[in-house]
Order: sequence, then C-alpha cells, then structure tokens
Amino acid sequence: MADVVLSNVNKVFGTFTAVDGLNLDIRQGEFVSLLGPSGCGKTTTLRMLAGLEFPSGGEIRIGDRMVNDLAPGQRDIAMVFQSYALYPHMSVGQNIAYPLKKRGVAKAERTAMVAKTAEMLQLTPLLNRKPRELSGGQQQRVALGRALVRDPKVFLLDEPLSNLDAKLRGYMRAELIELHQRLGRTMVYVTHDQLEAMTMSDRIAVMESGKLQQFAPPQVVYREPANRFVASFIGTPGMNIVDGELLQENGRWIFQSQGFSVDAPNLGPDAQSGAAAMGIRPEGLSIGTGPIEGVVQLVEQTGHENIVVARVGDGLRMTGRTNPDQPVRAGETIKLSIDANKAHFFAEGATGKRLNKAAATSDGPAKSQSALKEATS
Amino acid sequence: MARKILFNIFAWMVVLMVAFPLFWMLVTSVKPQFELFRRPPSMLPETVTFEHYWRLLSDTNFLGYFWNSVILSTATTFVVVTIATIGAYSLVRFRYRGRETLAFLVLFTYLLPSVVLILPLYLMLVELGLSNTITSLVIAYTTFALPYALWLLRSFMAGIPEDLESAALVDGATRLGAFKDVILPQLLPGIISTALFTFILSWNEYLYALVLVNSDESRPLTTGVMNMLISSFNIEWSLLMAASVMMSVPLIIVFAFLQSYLTRGFGAGGVKG
Ligand SMILES: Nc1ncnc2c1ncn2[C@@H]1O[C@H](COP(=O)(O)OP(=O)(O)O)[C@@H](O)[C@H]1O
Ligand SMILES: [Mg+2]
Repeated sequence: MADVVLSNVNKVFGTFTAVDGLNLDIRQGEFVSLLGPSGCGKTTTLRMLAGLEFPSGGEIRIGDRMVNDLAPGQRDIAMVFQSYALYPHMSVGQNIAYPLKKRGVAKAERTAMVAKTAEMLQLTPLLNRKPRELSGGQQQRVALGRALVRDPKVFLLDEPLSNLDAKLRGYMRAELIELHQRLGRTMVYVTHDQLEAMTMSDRIAVMESGKLQQFAPPQVVYREPANRFVASFIGTPGMNIVDGELLQENGRWIFQSQGFSVDAPNLGPDAQSGAAAMGIRPEGLSIGTGPIEGVVQLVEQTGHENIVVARVGDGLRMTGRTNPDQPVRAGETIKLSIDANKAHFFAEGATGKRLNKAAATSDGPAKSQSALKEATS
Repeated sequence: MARKILFNIFAWMVVLMVAFPLFWMLVTSVKPQFELFRRPPSMLPETVTFEHYWRLLSDTNFLGYFWNSVILSTATTFVVVTIATIGAYSLVRFRYRGRETLAFLVLFTYLLPSVVLILPLYLMLVELGLSNTITSLVIAYTTFALPYALWLLRSFMAGIPEDLESAALVDGATRLGAFKDVILPQLLPGIISTALFTFILSWNEYLYALVLVNSDESRPLTTGVMNMLISSFNIEWSLLMAASVMMSVPLIIVFAFLQSYLTRGFGAGGVKG
C-alpha cells in the first residue's frame, strides 16, 4: 500500500526551481532515502512533506489524505532536523514532551511516555539537562526522542547524522536501522552520503538539480544506474567514466576512446552511433594484463585491498582495486583490461541515459523486501 | 607593566571625570542651604540633611510629575516593544515584496533629527485633540523609539534559527503557539534590551515634553522639575539636586537588575544568540 505519494511536485523560489516534477511513491513501512549532492532539493522536498513549505505545483498524499493544504501539525508526521532544533530554554524532558503537550496528552500520561522514550534512547539520566549541556550525539538522540515519542505515521529525517563524528555516525546508522525494523514505520531519510543511503534504505531516490534521477533499491542503483549522474554518485571509489564514441562495426557495437577501444556487448535499443560515455567500476578493471597501458599515480592501502589510481593516455585517470599481495608502486607502468560485461554505457551529457540492455530482474529486490514487510506488519 | 599602570591611571581619570558631577549632585542634595555657596566649597558636607527631599515631596508637585513619568515611560515601552516585536518577526520570517526596502526606510526615519519632526508632529497631535496629554508624548516617543527598537529586535530575531519554529510547527503548535513557546523565550534578552532602551529614552526626554505639553497635570519629571525650580530670578539648587537624585534612582535600580541582560543584548544582537 502506498503511504506517501508525491505526484509531479514542483517548488519554485522566485525564478529558481528547487524541485522539478518530482514523482515518488513510498510504500507503508518503507525506508526511503533522498540522496543527492548539496543543493539538489532534498531538504525542500522533505519540508514540503512536512508542510513547512508549500508546493508550487503537484500533489502530496500521506496515507489516504491529500495533504497539500494541511498544516504540519495535522499531518501525523515527525521530523528530525539537521540542526536538531532542540528548544534551548527547555530541558531534555520538556523537549521530548512538547509534541505530546501540543496534542493535549494529559500530564501523567505525558510523563510516562517521555520516560519510556528516554529509556529507549538512554536519555533517562539527562532528562533535566538543557540541550546546550549535552554532547552532539546526545542532542541528536533528544531530537530523535522528540520525534519518536508520539508514534507518528511517517518519520522525516534531514541528514540526522551529518553533524556526528565518523564513529558515532556508524553506530547511529545501525541504531536507526534497528529502530526502523522495530517500529515498522515509514521513514524518509535525507542524506548526501551515498554510504548511508546504500546501507540503510529499502529504496533510494537519487536527486540532482531538483530532478529525480532514479528511484530503486540500493543494489539496482549500484548495478544498473539509470544514468551517468547516478553512476558517478554511487560507490566509493567512484565509477571510472570515460568519454568517447560508440560505433558499429560488422554488426557489433564498439566503444572507442583515446588510446583504447572496448566491445559494448549488451547495448539496448536506445544505443546510437556517436558521442557517448563508458563507465566501469574499479572492480571491473583488472590490473596486470590487458591492452590498456597506464602509469600508476597513487596506491592507497586500506588493509584488505589496494586502491590503484593510474593515468591512461593524457589526463584520463582510472581507479582499480588490487589484492594487497600484488605489488604495485607509484610511477610504475601497468597493463589494464576492462571487463566488457561489467561496463555501463551512457548517452552524451552529465545525466546521459544508460544505454545497456535492461536487466530482467530490475525491480525484483524491492518487491520482495516490501512484501516481506507488509506480511510482518 | 608601566604601560599598564599608565592605562589604568588614564581609565580612572575618565571614570572620575564622568562620575564627579553625579557625586556633586548627591553631595549638594544633602548639604544644608548655608553650606551650599561656601568658599572654598566643602567636598563632603559637614552636616547631612534630608530637608530638601522632604520639601520636594511635601511642598511641591514632584510626586505628580514622577507618576506622570512612570506612566509615560511604561506606556511607551509597552507600545514600542509590542509593535517592534511583531514588526521584527514579520521582517525576518515572512517573505514579501519590498521587505528589505521597508527595513531601510524604517532606519532612515531614525536618522532624521528629531527637531525636524517636532513641529509637524505637534500640529498633528493638536489636530487629533491630544495636545497637552500624556498620550501625545507616548505617541511622540514611539515615533522615534520604534525605528531603533525595530532594528535592534530584528537582529535578535534573525539570530533565532528558523528550524526552531519549524520544529514547533511539526510538533503540533500553531504559528502563534510556536511564537509564544519558542520565539518569545529566545527573544527575551532582546526584548529586555529594547525595553530598557525605550524606557530610558522616554524617562530622560526633554525637548518633546517641553514643546508638546504645557499643562502641569501632564508634565513629566524632566520639564516639570525644570519648570518648578528654575525661574528667571532664582534656581533652587538644593531642590534641583535632590530631584535629580530621585529621578536617577529608578533607572539605577532597573539597570542594576537587568545589566547582565543589557550587556549580553547589545553585544550579541547581531550574531547568533
Ligand atoms: N527559502 C528559500 N528561498 C530561496 N531558495 C531556496 C530556499 N530554500 C532552498 N532554496 C534553494 O533551493 C535549492 C535546494 O535547497 P535544499 O532543498 O536545501 O537542498 P539540499 O537539502 O538538497 O542541500 C538550493 O539551491 C537552495 O539555495
Ligand atoms: Mg539539506
């Protein structure tokens, strides 16, 4: 069942279009990430869902209600702000109790609910402190507590982990996943960190310049990026993307770039001769033998693997992974080969469409995952 | 080290220069009449007397003027702070055409010397039938305290993160509720600074009071005391000094209580609170 639906939603600030024709269909209990670079319209989208910003066009539905004209307090949503937005003059307890108070929950019941939420988030010893007396991580948990305390239909989270240090972020990521599984509530999670989106989401909505680029489960976004932008945004180290051109030779497609050419075995019907781009993830690049010659510029050792950055031709940088036992040094000349079956091909331009054949199981994981959720809830 | 001592001496000299008239005011107000014009003057009074204070309170209309000043300053402060708070909220939170221009126009009115405005204002107040009333002074003081108050509160308001209000709205508050629960408490230092500024301004104002109010029932302290104690034949120095001391006392008390807010306010208005 669809829980949150955005149909053709626009948001225009003056002459600037922050969100452009956005269509999203979020299922009940689903964890959806809005992922994209800073300024792509993620927060604006979330604020429109919350009712803090009114769409310039389109329709927003939550549950079975059209909420375009509903005030934030009437939408049965809770939101965690990037800045936490804790009320500085109220204690932790009062902060968490505030949404209950505004909904007319009686004092005794309020106290009990606050206590329960505080217990769950390990905030009990801090209930009488003021927000400024807390660490960043504690403030973050108070902000979560204020959202959790009244069990809303939809949770909206705007980069809740971005102000935490790396270690705490990893820990809170796990906490949030666990929380989502326990509550079974719909969550819309805004982040610019593809790792967060990949590890936490049922589906990821990748956005750029106010437009939806792809909306699919993490595996699909990774394996079958809908266009060049998604391909370059997902994955660390990032996908190698090479400009060149596609041409047909004896009925076979070939991608040709400066200094090398590869077969393009699995192109779909949209493929055309002419300028195009090829993308290959570091794991699709083998180092050691092959037709391409490169000069190693940098070797990053992560422990279980080495990341090798090599210069191919003039100016093109290619990143690959090697086993740490395979000795590669900076300055060395190496041979590279591209696994044509793992290559992606894109039409011209920054958001050029993917030209590969559609994989048969493209929407598979999403369906099975949410079916599982609906069955258990 | 030597520089530090020199600097200290300099600072104390400035303090003494500023404080001496106040000290002299206090001393003169408790000197008996015969000691007043003695030469050389006595730094400290030989006998301390409170007769001038008694005379002021029992034989003159001092208390009447005092009461007028209290009403006048309180009313002005209330009006100015209320309008400025709402206005600042609008200037910071709502987006409408000409918002910035409006803010600058407001500042512009503050830049006009008050002497320029006094005649038109007087004529307007006469038209309205308000001449010689305390209300006329409240209106007049509002015209020149409001622009500054608006700017002061605007910078305080701009320092309150918008997310706080958004959070309150999401938590189920109405706009007015969010304003009351979240904005007002955050704005308190700003409101106190603004209130102090307005109160002191109205308490000490002389020129408008002189021009706009000519009846003894409505005179505030400044013009009342001058009118009563200074004539072309005689200046009642002892009474004048006693009156000055009593005029300063309310301000000193208010200051003492709120000074931490005031310094915080004037210092922190522009940056994030
Ligand atoms: N109230 C506003 N007025 C004008 N422009 C805005 C406003 N809010 C956001 N924008 C613009 O819209 C774009 C998207 O902003 P935002 O949704 O905050 O991006 P993100 O959260 O993805 O970083 C940005 O370029 C931003 O400058
Ligand atoms: Mg944002």
